[in-house]
Amino acid sequence: MTPNAASSGLSRRSFLASTAVATAAVAGGVPLLAACSDSGSGGSREGATAGKAADKLLPTYVASTVAKPDIPSKNGSSAGYTSKVDLATLASSVPTRLGTGAPIEVLAPLWGTPPKPGCAYYTALDAAAGTKITWQNQDGNTYGEKLGAVLASSSIPDMVVVPSWELVGKISSAVTAKFMDLGPYLAGDKVKKYPNLAAIPSDSWRMSIFGGALRGIPMPAAAVPNIVPFYRKDVFDKKGYTVPTSADEFLSWAKEATSAKAKVWACGDMRWSAAGIFGVRPAGSLGWNIGDDGKLTYRIEHPEYLEHLEWVRKLFAAGVVHPDDKANTGDPRQRFTSGQILVYNNDMSSWYGKTAEQAQSNPDFEISGMDYFGAGGGSPTLYAGQPAGIWSMIRKDASKETVENALAAANFAAAPYGTKERMFVDYGVEGTHYTVENGAPVKNDRGIQEVNNAWVLLAAPAPYTAHPDLPDITRMQVEWQQRQGAFVKKTSTYGMNIVEPTRYATLSSQFEQLEIDFVRGNKKPSDIQQAISTWKSSGGDKLRGWYKELLDKNGSGN
Amino acid sequence: MSIMAGSRPDGTRPGAAVEEPRPAVAAATVKESVPRRAAKAGKAGKVPLRVRWRRDRALILMTLPVIALLLLFNYVPLLGNVVAFQDYDPYVSSNGITAIFHSPWVGVEQFSRMLGDPLFWSATKNTVVLFVLQLVLFFPVPIALALVINSVIRPRVRAVAQAIMYLPHFFSWVLVVTVFQQILGGAGIIAQTLEEHGWSGFDLMTDADLFKYLVTAQAVWKDAGWGIIVFLAALSAVSTDLYEAAAMDGAGRWRRMWHITLPALRPVIALLLVLRVGDALSVGFEQFLLQRYAVGAGASEVLDTYVWNMGIQNGDFSYAAAVGLAKGLIGVCLVLGANKFAHLLGQQGVYKK
Repeated sequence: MTPNAASSGLSRRSFLASTAVATAAVAGGVPLLAACSDSGSGGSREGATAGKAADKLLPTYVASTVAKPDIPSKNGSSAGYTSKVDLATLASSVPTRLGTGAPIEVLAPLWGTPPKPGCAYYTALDAAAGTKITWQNQDGNTYGEKLGAVLASSSIPDMVVVPSWELVGKISSAVTAKFMDLGPYLAGDKVKKYPNLAAIPSDSWRMSIFGGALRGIPMPAAAVPNIVPFYRKDVFDKKGYTVPTSADEFLSWAKEATSAKAKVWACGDMRWSAAGIFGVRPAGSLGWNIGDDGKLTYRIEHPEYLEHLEWVRKLFAAGVVHPDDKANTGDPRQRFTSGQILVYNNDMSSWYGKTAEQAQSNPDFEISGMDYFGAGGGSPTLYAGQPAGIWSMIRKDASKETVENALAAANFAAAPYGTKERMFVDYGVEGTHYTVENGAPVKNDRGIQEVNNAWVLLAAPAPYTAHPDLPDITRMQVEWQQRQGAFVKKTSTYGMNIVEPTRYATLSSQFEQLEIDFVRGNKKPSDIQQAISTWKSSGGDKLRGWYKELLDKNGSGN
Repeated sequence: MSIMAGSRPDGTRPGAAVEEPRPAVAAATVKESVPRRAAKAGKAGKVPLRVRWRRDRALILMTLPVIALLLLFNYVPLLGNVVAFQDYDPYVSSNGITAIFHSPWVGVEQFSRMLGDPLFWSATKNTVVLFVLQLVLFFPVPIALALVINSVIRPRVRAVAQAIMYLPHFFSWVLVVTVFQQILGGAGIIAQTLEEHGWSGFDLMTDADLFKYLVTAQAVWKDAGWGIIVFLAALSAVSTDLYEAAAMDGAGRWRRMWHITLPALRPVIALLLVLRVGDALSVGFEQFLLQRYAVGAGASEVLDTYVWNMGIQNGDFSYAAAVGLAKGLIGVCLVLGANKFAHLLGQQGVYKK
């Protein structure tokens, strides 16, 4: 983690960092962290396009038939690939090079050290895709600041990666103003020129409509939760702990497991998991839903909202949360691998990432995901994440050739699993970046260094999970997703890319900080109630009216 | 600077600039004293402009690059403050600057919003409390340290002590906060030691009530050593004759410190105090941002972090600019007030009347 991230160790930025990097292996989605989609724009830039109006803008869906998943998608999970892939007979999804080699500039976030320009990986990929990309990588943790400044300048790079969580304040109106309508290149059958883009599910494309036009090339995300309450299975087994199945059980287990003397605490900050346990809706536009009583409400207006925070507050008060998590310093992932905390929540990518990382140095290490449970035991209520959360976009006045080269790059990056192109993007060149051991590709040092780049952010295939070296992890991940998927509900705003009017842009911005402070005992329950009533009176009720109209016009998403 | 002031060939008004302990003052205020001197020389008007130009040409030319940089990076951006009177949308036009011309004017709406915002007042209160606390607890520390260092005769001990005191200044705040967390935090050295002896629950880093003392302690540890440089410079300018004479007259250590050392430091102290007061509303930024989660925004939000949150995080540039502007105005008033106060005490302050 960068020093900067110390202040935001658990923020959506650094958090999604790992998601983005590992997207190829992960069913993405931004369940609790979509707070930033509540941003606005002026005039016709706000609102959403859904239903028939949206369908006209979408590319035709042509499913990919390259590789059949071993575990097909179910309950909104990703598709899992667990069997060995014969690297010698990989199919090709891009038979002819689509790029013309005209130079394009791409601005993208990156977590970690970007590879050097002109490195073997870049050269090889450019040659394969027929592109000539100059990368402008910016630190992912502070990408929003850079993005805001770049969009306000008069020289915007040809292609820009835009994560949904950076769409704060007026940036979402900028997206409409500064980026091109890709309809002329992709709508309907035109997309068939780019078969991998055509294989991106329509739901994800629908999420890429900004200001009434298709402006984004999406990275699809699975609807199932991407936040996993991870636990140290090896420690649980050794100590004979049973995995808790209710909120109270969790608390009593946590008290038993915590021993400050031994430098072991039960967990980190469990807010994200608590939202799943107590059935709290995600923040942002997904937080709006028409209930069974026909009333349109926002997430904070339900008693579960305060309840889930009160439960986390209890954990903090009981002293079962690591003091460094309370102070938000250091890296919770490191505390987890070193055994200082036994449970923590993070995105799905940690399952594989931590297993691979610890395999050498800590062979006993075993990470597993807890199933979500209802607060009082029994089934939880989970909410679906949006089907896309990261887009790449093309500058408004880009030339036709630039657009076609950018789309060629995106098409290459969206290659489905089991193709040469996917292998290229995820592993680089055989011999240079990876070697094949026991039929599975293993990156060497150069591979680890150079493959960590932003090609994967340009676009992605339908959500899938595959770890050729650790197929068991793939199976556990997909099975976990399918079990959780059974409890997933969609809110009325699901699948709609909604841009709220600017006047409400900062209405809900105080809640994240308030939650952080409340669970640590630095705010009182009355402060939350006060904030909720202030929210209502200072625009929340009007925003409700706005959403009501929007949903009446576009139809509900669930 | 002082040398120049004393050795000016025309000898216009050298007196004011070379009063006894002035050298250190002048050294510390090089930047401020440049325009002051020029203005005074102009008022004196004894030497024709042409002559002065010929005489100072090289010096003036040498300052030009700095003046250009100063204009470009300190003064031109000031113009951007007009967005405080707008509902600024940086994306409304082809770039952020022309967007200023296309954004709607809203008068003082952002300011009235600010006055009605409890978060703004909470940040202001924290800032003022911290400033007062740091003035009382932090400001005297470098003076005391300088006196201690100055009393050490052996050069090697002195150099080592000084180096140790300077060192933390070069640590980043991330490191400072981490070091404090490792020592005073709930899983830190002290907490672990206490735990072994049966006391649990020690955690100074997440106590919102103690936070203001904690950040002051961090600031002292990090920057007090650095702050002694100016005082040491002032002390080194005190003539040893004075000490010898006083010793001859039978003055002890304390009397010498009281009657020679401290009076020698007085102008520097007054000057730094004025500067510090002018900077009162800037108590720090990173330090507070880093510890925001630990104690909550209620205790850690200061004006600088508030502006950052509103502007950079929420993208509400107009409002952030309004708050920043208000902060600047209050700062100017404080400087003027403190300077007036320094004059009343018979000190020179930042500028002369």
